[in-house]
Amino acid sequence: MKKNKHLLLGSSIGCLVLLLMAAIEENFRKQWRGIQAAGQNDDGPISVQLRQIVNPGLRHSDRCISCHVSMGAGDANVTGARILRTHRPVVHDPAEYGCTICHAGQGLATEKEDAHGDVQFWPSPMFPARYAYAGCGACHTPLDVPNRDLLGRAKGAFERLDCLACHRVDGRGGTIRPGGGGMEGPDLSRIGIAGYKTDWYEKHLELSRKAEAKAAGNGPWKNSFAAVSEADRRLVATYLATLVSAPRLIEAKAVFHSTGCLGCHKVSGAGGDEGPELTRAGEKDPGQLNFVPVPGKATLDNWLAEHFRSPGSLVAESKMPALGLSEADIDKLTLYVMSLRRMDVPASYVPRDRMNAARFGAREFTTDGATVYGVFCAGCHGLEGQGRRAPGMAAFPSIANSDFLSRVEDEFLANTIRSGRPGRRMPPWGEKEGGLRPEEIQAVIRHLRSLGGVEARPDSKPARWVSGNKEEGRQLFAASCSGCHGAKGEGGEGPALNNQVLLSKATDTYFVETIGKGRRGTGMAGFEEPSTVRRTLTRLEIESIVSFIRSWEGGKS
Amino acid sequence: MSAPVAAHSAIGEFLENLKQAPRRVLDTAFRGGAPVTDRTRSSFVFGNVFLHLHSVRTHRWSLKWTTTMGLGLASAAAFLLTLITGVLLMFYYKPYPDVAYDSIKDIHFVVPTGRFMRNIHRWAANVMVITVILHMARAFYTGAYRRPREFNWLIGMGLLVTTLGLSFSGYLLPWDQLAYWAITIGTNIAQSPREITDALGITEYFDPGGLQRLILLGSDTVGAEALIRFYLWHVMILPLVLAALAAVHFWRIRKDGGLVRPSDADKRLGAPTADTQPVFTNAPAKTYQLAAIVKGRTAAVGKGPENTVPSMPHLFYAELGVLMLTSLICLALALVSDAPLKELANPNVPENPAKAPWYFLGLQELVAFSAFMGGIGIPTIVLIGLGLIPYLDRESKGTGDWFGGPGGWPLVKQAVGVGLGASILIEAFVINFGWLREWSPSIPQLVVTAVNPGTLLTLAYGVYSVHLVRRYQSARAGALGLFTCFLCGFTVLTVIGTYFRGPNWVFYWSPADWPKH
Repeated sequence: MKKNKHLLLGSSIGCLVLLLMAAIEENFRKQWRGIQAAGQNDDGPISVQLRQIVNPGLRHSDRCISCHVSMGAGDANVTGARILRTHRPVVHDPAEYGCTICHAGQGLATEKEDAHGDVQFWPSPMFPARYAYAGCGACHTPLDVPNRDLLGRAKGAFERLDCLACHRVDGRGGTIRPGGGGMEGPDLSRIGIAGYKTDWYEKHLELSRKAEAKAAGNGPWKNSFAAVSEADRRLVATYLATLVSAPRLIEAKAVFHSTGCLGCHKVSGAGGDEGPELTRAGEKDPGQLNFVPVPGKATLDNWLAEHFRSPGSLVAESKMPALGLSEADIDKLTLYVMSLRRMDVPASYVPRDRMNAARFGAREFTTDGATVYGVFCAGCHGLEGQGRRAPGMAAFPSIANSDFLSRVEDEFLANTIRSGRPGRRMPPWGEKEGGLRPEEIQAVIRHLRSLGGVEARPDSKPARWVSGNKEEGRQLFAASCSGCHGAKGEGGEGPALNNQVLLSKATDTYFVETIGKGRRGTGMAGFEEPSTVRRTLTRLEIESIVSFIRSWEGGKS
Repeated sequence: MSAPVAAHSAIGEFLENLKQAPRRVLDTAFRGGAPVTDRTRSSFVFGNVFLHLHSVRTHRWSLKWTTTMGLGLASAAAFLLTLITGVLLMFYYKPYPDVAYDSIKDIHFVVPTGRFMRNIHRWAANVMVITVILHMARAFYTGAYRRPREFNWLIGMGLLVTTLGLSFSGYLLPWDQLAYWAITIGTNIAQSPREITDALGITEYFDPGGLQRLILLGSDTVGAEALIRFYLWHVMILPLVLAALAAVHFWRIRKDGGLVRPSDADKRLGAPTADTQPVFTNAPAKTYQLAAIVKGRTAAVGKGPENTVPSMPHLFYAELGVLMLTSLICLALALVSDAPLKELANPNVPENPAKAPWYFLGLQELVAFSAFMGGIGIPTIVLIGLGLIPYLDRESKGTGDWFGGPGGWPLVKQAVGVGLGASILIEAFVINFGWLREWSPSIPQLVVTAVNPGTLLTLAYGVYSVHLVRRYQSARAGALGLFTCFLCGFTVLTVIGTYFRGPNWVFYWSPADWPKH
C-alpha cells in the first residue's frame, strides 16, 4: 500500500506542477500581453486583452491588432512601442478590412511566428514588405497596363508636362511654383479607378486662358498650363489609367507585359496553353515547393525568383526556357506573379476592375501593338522580334526580319497569327482559340512592320503562278535544301516547309524571293547569289523547287 | 401561557432541524456512517453505486504491480481524460466544413488553455489506444481470458474496437488536410468489398462496399454530411457504447471472482500482513436466502476471506495512483508537443503520402496490395481468432502467471523471433522485388487479393501456430505463439507504415530522402 501511496503522491504533485506551468504560460507568457502592457493612450495604459478585427461581410477576422494595437478601430492614438504604431493612410482602412486580406498571413493566430505565417502547414505567409503590393491581386486586376517602354514614356510625358506641379501622385508632387501654397489640383493617385472627365484638357486650357486674360495677379493658373500635343495627351491618358495607388504592382505588370509570358501561360482566360495556367500562381503553398536548389529562406518570393533564373532546376521536366532576365526584372516579375491570386470574397466586395475584366471583356493590357506584342509574342520571338534559340527546342523565328517582312503581305501575317502553325509551337491566336481580337492582331502587325522598318512590297502576281519541273525540283531540294529543312521538308535546323498552313497561305512569290534572296540574319542564304560554298540556282531552278514544295500541299505532312 | 411554549418548542425543533440539515444530508447520502473503520469503509463501498463496481475486498495478488501493470486502469484513466477535455472542446468546436478548421484555430490560439486541452485530448486518446492494446496483451499472457472470464474477454474486444472507432472518428473533426485524406483513405477501405464484387462483376447488383462507405460518409465524398456523422459518432454514440461496455467489463471482473490469479497465489504471497483484517464477524445475523445463486459450494459464513484486504483504501490508492500517473504522462506530453493541425482540407490537393492514423498504418501497409484483405479480410480473421481463443483454450495450467502454460516464456521468445522474422522478411522481399502486380500488370485482382504479403503472413503465422499445438499438445501453446506473432507483425507493419513510407507509399529510410515535388 505504501508503494501505491507514494505513486499517488508523486504523480499528483507532478500534475499540479504541470498545471501550474500551463497556467503561467497561459496568463503571463503570451507575447501580446507584454506588447499591450507597454501601450498608452490619452487615458493612460490600455487594457490588456485579445483584440480582433471582424468583418462579417468579408467573413474575415484578424487578431493582428492584438500586437499592432493602433491599427484597430478606435485605438489610433495608442503609443508606447514601434509595433503599436498606426498604419500609414491607405484606401482600405485596416480597422474595417482587416490585415490578412491584403498582407496574407494567419489572421486567427495570436503569436508572431504563427501570425506572420512562415510556419509549417500555413499555405499563405505574409508578403515581405517589398512585395506588399502583391496583396492587391487578391481582389484587384489592374487594367490597361502598357508594356514597360510605353509606361516609361507615359510617365515621362506626365512629368515632362509638369503635371506634378499641381497634382500629387503616390505622395509625389503637388507643390505649385512660383509662390502660393501646394496642391491646387486633385490628388491623382487613384484616378485610374475613380475615372475622370474626358474634357479635362479643354477645361484646363480654358481656365489657363482666363487667368492670363486677367493680366493682374499671380494666380496658380497663370502661366501654368499650355497646349499639349495629341500624342502627349494620349500618353497622359495611358498613364492616368494606371494610377491605382499601387505603383510597384503596375511597374511589375508592365515588365510582365514586356516578357511575353502569356504566349505560353494563361492568366484569367487570356494566353497560351503551353505552360501551366498562372491565374492563381501567387497562391502556391511554400510548403509544397522544392527548395533544395533555392538559395536563402524557403519563401515563395525566393522560389519564384530562382524559378525565373533557372526554371528547369526547380520544376522537373519544365519546358520553360531560362529567359536570361536581369535581376531587377526578375524582382518585378516575382512581385507580379505573387499578386496572381483569387480571394473568395462575397460578390458585393468584388472591385470594379476585376468585374470588368471577368465579365465585360476589359483588357488587362493596353491594346497598342507594342504592348500586345510584348504580352503575347515577346516570350518566343523576342522583344525586338529577333527570335529566340533555347536548348532542346526548335528555333523561334525572327519575325521582325526585314527580308521576311518585305516579302509577306499583312494578310499572310494576320492569317498566321490567327491560325497559328499546327505542328509547330505557334498556337492559333484568333479570337476563339487564343483570344486576340481582330483589331489587336492588326495592331501587332503594324508593330511588327515598325520593328522591321519595311512595308510589304505589293505583289502583282497571283498567289500561285509557278509551274516548274517537279522532278528537277525534287533533286535540287535534296541537294540544296534538305540539309536544313529535312528530306521531306519536315524541318530541322531550318523551319518545316511541309506545314499545311504555310503552304496554303504563302504565295509563290514569297517562296521564290526567299530562296533567291535569302533571309539576312538567319542561316538562310540567297541561292541566286554567287557563292563559293554552295551551288548557285537559277530563277528557273528555284521555280522548280517551289513546284516541288507545292507538291506537299494537301498531302500528309 | 402554554400555547407559546408549544410554539417555542416547534420553532426550536425547526431551528434545530435546520441546523442539523447539512449533517443529515451527508448522513443520508452516505449511509452507514463515515468511512473511518474497515467495517464502515466496506459498507461505504458496498452501498455506493459507482464504488460498487469493485468488490469490497481485494485480493493481495491483484495489488501486486506485476499482476496488471495498471494497464486497464490506465486505459480507463485516459478515457476519463479524453471525456473531460472532450466536453470542454465541444464548447468551442463547430462541426461544419471550413468553420470547423477555424474553430480549431480558435481553440489553439484564443481559447484560454484551449491548446493545452486539445493537446491533452489528443495525447490521452493515443495513450488510450496504446494501453488498451497492452492491456489486452497482459490479459492474454496471464491467461485472464480463461474460464470463468471468457465473456469478459469478448467485451474487452468490443472495447478495443470502440476505442479505435473513437480515435478514428475524432481524426476527421479538425477538417485539415491530415484529417481529410486520412478519412478518405479510411472510408475507401470500407468500400473495399468492391474489390471482390468488381472482380465477380456483381457490384451493380450487390455492393456492400459502396453501401458501407455511403453509411459512413452520408454522401459520395468526404463533406459536411461526413463531418456531422463522424462528430455524432465521436461525441455521442461511441462514448456511450464505451461507457456501457466498460461498466459491464468492470462489473464482471468482480462477478468473475476478481482479477485472475494463480491457484497457488495464497501460498506464494505468504502470510497476510498485519493490516489484513477480517471484517466479518462470527455472528451472522442474516439468513442467506439468495445463497443458492452465490458462486462456490458454501457461503463464506463466519470466515474472513484470506489474503484479501479492504478495497478501501488499498485498491483505491492504487487506482488513484494510476489515474494520476496517466494524467501526469498526458499533461507532460501535452505541454511539450502540440496536436497536429495542417492546412485547411482541400479536396483538390491530395496529401502524398496520405496516411491513416498510426494504429491503422499496419493495415494500410497491407492495403497497398489488397484493400479488401488489408482493410477488412485480415482484421476480421484476427478479430474472429481473438474471440475464439477463450473457447478453444479450455486448459488451466499456468493461469494467472505471465506467459503461463505449455511452452511458457521460451515459446514466447521463439514466437517473437518467428513473428518479427517472418514479417520483416516478407516486407524486405516486397520492398526490394515488388509483388505480383509489378511483375505482371494484367494479373486478375482476385489472385492478388488471395495471394499477397498480408495473407501469406497470416498463413505463415497460422501454420506456425498449428505446429506449436501439435508439438506441445496444447491449444494454449498455439495461442501463445499466434498472439505473439500477430503482435510482432502488427508492430513491424505499423513501424514501416509510420516511419518508412513516403510519397506513393514508396519505401524510404528517412523522410529526408523523400523526393521534392
